[in-house]
Amino acid sequence: MEKVLIHLEDFTMAYTDIPVIWDMDLDIYEGSITAIIGPNGAGKSTLMKGILGLMKPISGKVSIMGKSYKEVYKQIAYIPQTTTVNWNFPTTVIDVVTMGRYAGLGLFKRVNASEKEKALEALKKMKMEDFASRQISELSGGQKQRVFIARAIAQNALIYFMDEPLAGVDKKTENIIIETMREFKKEGKTIIAVHHDLNTLCEYFDHVIMVNKQLIASGRTEETFVKENIDATYGE
Amino acid sequence: MNISIITQYSFIVVAIGTMLLAMATGIVGTISILKGQSLIGDAVGHASLPGIILAFMISGRKSSLILMLGAIVAGIVAFLLIQIISEGSKIEADTAMAVILSAMFGMGMVLKSYIQGNPKYQGASQSGLASYIFGQAAYILREDVYIILTVSIISLALFILFYKEIKVYVFDMVYAYTIGINSRLTSLLIMIITMILIAAGLKAVGAILISSMLITPAVTGLQWSNSYEKVLVIAAVTGAVSAFLGTFISSAVKGFSTGPSIILIMSVIALFSVLFAPRGIVRMLLNIRKMRVGK
Repeated sequence: MEKVLIHLEDFTMAYTDIPVIWDMDLDIYEGSITAIIGPNGAGKSTLMKGILGLMKPISGKVSIMGKSYKEVYKQIAYIPQTTTVNWNFPTTVIDVVTMGRYAGLGLFKRVNASEKEKALEALKKMKMEDFASRQISELSGGQKQRVFIARAIAQNALIYFMDEPLAGVDKKTENIIIETMREFKKEGKTIIAVHHDLNTLCEYFDHVIMVNKQLIASGRTEETFVKENIDATYGE
Repeated sequence: MNISIITQYSFIVVAIGTMLLAMATGIVGTISILKGQSLIGDAVGHASLPGIILAFMISGRKSSLILMLGAIVAGIVAFLLIQIISEGSKIEADTAMAVILSAMFGMGMVLKSYIQGNPKYQGASQSGLASYIFGQAAYILREDVYIILTVSIISLALFILFYKEIKVYVFDMVYAYTIGINSRLTSLLIMIITMILIAAGLKAVGAILISSMLITPAVTGLQWSNSYEKVLVIAAVTGAVSAFLGTFISSAVKGFSTGPSIILIMSVIALFSVLFAPRGIVRMLLNIRKMRVGK
């Protein structure tokens, strides 16, 4: 029996008066690699932001490991679509990844050598160690994405939220990211990712959440990603 | 030019004050620039003038501390007005700043000329109030240096204490949220640090030029390095060096006032950096040319 990690109840979200996410009841399972799929504007990123408390829902509640986000945020890493970063900020790749250690450090504590060591390990996993002293804004899109995933690895969380981690990255980066997701799973971690490419869905993800403003279906990919649900999600 | 000035008591007092202030403003100024709010120092600086005059009118004294508190209160009022206008209306923040800046500075000038001819305020000496507009480091007293010293140390201590939080907040606000950094508190902290530094520096540099103290050394720092730590060190050092040289020149050469001299030196260094530093214009043009030739 699969164990529920994240539970949503009557979850409704809106930017204006029109709901983007409508009355969702949803379970996400521990140790899964779960994709959130749906057409453009279906509310995939919004759903993720809602679970993380980055946007407040109009109604409903989220529980993560039976608790609120604020109680468990240290166990959660989030990799947004990279647009939220201030690219003018003078900082190197290793410096950005070291920020992944800040959550565990707490207030006033300084970064020491062992934190840098852990950051470098994370960077090696993403095969980016040669770029450690590069300025972050000089990297390509795929390289940037790998740096932010390295930062999330350095965070050593239990749950990883990724908003389109594979969008616009090269094949090499895609392979490295998928390999990392599988490693996470082996370590008992959970990955939730917004995903676009339906061709790779079954290969990469064992669970899927299909949304189009409301929840269409969710569950194991092979049982859920079927014609009937696909039509309901992407059809008119 | 008389080198022996360096050993004079009054020179040492003023130099220590301006150097410490410039170090602190240089460091804190990097935040304003990186957050895209370079004008905030200008707005708060100008807006502090009516606060100073009102503090004088109410207290009837020219105590540096009381006038500084007046400046801080006016600065906070200006800051809140800018926030309310830019968030509550379709007016952009930079427009709101420009409006508030000139409105409050104008109010300060009106108040100042009002008390000048007013017999009610004749009892207390008003001379020196004008120094808050253009800055007059020669008027800096020991009391002022103590204030600058205290404020600079408090600001630097807060910056160092919350360094991680400030850095992540400026670099990536969403990430800051996800690792539990309170963005409201962090931005409040940054505002307080900026505000008290501006208020403390007004007498030495003046309401009009104080924002250069925040922005100019920080601009220099940002041209030279890809590491935020190094940027901070460079900003602090150029701030301190400019303050020392500016204070020296104004003491040695008749007719040079301290604030403008400091700003002028800072600006020359910044201009040089913008042109020739590793992240400067010349290097960028050379790189483009190299790429073209390479093709």
